Amino acid sequence: MKKIEFIQAIKNELEIESDLTETTNLSELEEWDSLSWMVLNAYVSNTFEVSLTAEDYKRITTVESVVEIIGYEKFD
Amino acid sequence: MSARITKIEYVYPEKKISNDDLKTMFPDYDFRNFEKKVGIINRYWVEEKETALDLAVKACEKLFADIDRDSIDFILYCTQSPEYYLPTTACILQNRLGLLKNIGAFDFNLGCSGYTYGLSIAKSLISANQAKNVLIVTAETYSKYIHPLDRTNRAIFGDAATATLVSYSNDEHLGNFLFGTDGSGYDKLIVKNGGSKHKYDPEASDKIYGTNNIYSENHLYMNGPEVFNFTNDVIPNFTRDVLKDNGLGIVDVDQFIFHQANSFMLDFMRKKIGIPKLNFYNNLSDGGNTVSSTIPIALKNYSQCLDNIQTVVLVGFGVGLSWSGGVININHKL
Repeated sequence: MKKIEFIQAIKNELEIESDLTETTNLSELEEWDSLSWMVLNAYVSNTFEVSLTAEDYKRITTVESVVEIIGYEKFD
Repeated sequence: MSARITKIEYVYPEKKISNDDLKTMFPDYDFRNFEKKVGIINRYWVEEKETALDLAVKACEKLFADIDRDSIDFILYCTQSPEYYLPTTACILQNRLGLLKNIGAFDFNLGCSGYTYGLSIAKSLISANQAKNVLIVTAETYSKYIHPLDRTNRAIFGDAATATLVSYSNDEHLGNFLFGTDGSGYDKLIVKNGGSKHKYDPEASDKIYGTNNIYSENHLYMNGPEVFNFTNDVIPNFTRDVLKDNGLGIVDVDQFIFHQANSFMLDFMRKKIGIPKLNFYNNLSDGGNTVSSTIPIALKNYSQCLDNIQTVVLVGFGVGLSWSGGVININHKL
C-alpha cells in the first residue's frame, strides 16, 4: 500500500472532515479520542497485521508517526 | 448424568442512565460516536445503598416464580462485588432466598469469563452426581468502583444480576468447555487499592488517562487498548479451539454469543473468525457491559425467538486476564 492511499483510508475510517497529510497532528484533531484509536487499531491490524499497543497510542502525534510505528517497510 | 440450562432470569437496577443523561454529566463530550461505535444507549446503576446481592435476590426470586426453590442443591455465585470480604456472599444468598440448608454454596471471583466458567462447574457437579439443580448467579455493581469523572468507564459499564438454573437431564445439552488464563495481564483491568496488597488510600490522587478520563488507585482502571489487543490476539483462535474440541465447524453453529463488551470490537472479531452476521450476537444497547451478566442476558433474549433445537457457542473473556468458552444446545425459551 502506498502512503498516500493509507492517508486517504484512515481519513475515511476515522471520519475526519478536514484535509489529512503526513504532517497533520492526529492527536490534536477534534475527532481524536479513544474510539478513534480503536478504529485505527482495527484498520492497521486488518491491513498490516500489526497491533498498536497502549504505548504506541501515547506516541502517536502526526500521521507520519503512525506510518513509522507500523514500519516503513510495510509500505510501497 | 447430563445437564441442561432450564431457565434464565435477569434484573437491572431501576436507575437508568441514557447517553443524554451522560451528556449532562460530561457536557464537553459528544456521545453520538460512542453510541454508534460501542453500541450502548442505556446502562443501569444501583443506588448507594443497593448491592449486587440485592440485585441477585431479585433475579433469583424471578426465577422462583416457576421453579421450586427447594429443588436447588447448589449455588455458584459469580461476583467481583461481594457483600463483605467475608463471609461468602452465596451463604447470605441461601438465607435471603430461604433455600434448604443441605446445599452447597460458594462465591467465585471472575468477571467477563464468569458465566461460562459457571456453566462448566455446574455441568461438572451434575455429571459427578454431586448436584441435581445448580443455581448459577452472576451479580455485579462495577458502578461503585468507577470514579465519578471517568467518562469512558461510566459509559461502558452497567450493573445487573442474573440467575440461571442448570438441571440434570437425560440428554447432554452442555458440551465441552475450554479455559485460558494469563495473569501477566492482571493490571489491565484492576481496582488496585482496598485488597490485601494495597490498602484503601483516602489520600489517593486523581490521575488522568486517555482523553480527560479521571481515576484514582481506589477506583477501577481499564487499559482499553491493551484489553482490546488481548481480545483480538487470543479470542479468535480460542473460538476455533472450542469448535474443534466439540467436533464442530462454524457452519454447524446457529449462534455465537460472546461477552458483550463493545459492538465495534465484537464485529471486528466476527469478521476475523469468519462468522456470518446473522449467526453472531451483537447487542449491548440496553444495559451496556454488565461483566459476567452479558452472556446470560444475551442468551435469554436470543432464546425468545427459538422454535427448534439450536447449537450455541458461548465465549467469555476479560479481567484476569481470563477466558473460557463452550458449546450448548438449547431447545426452548429460557
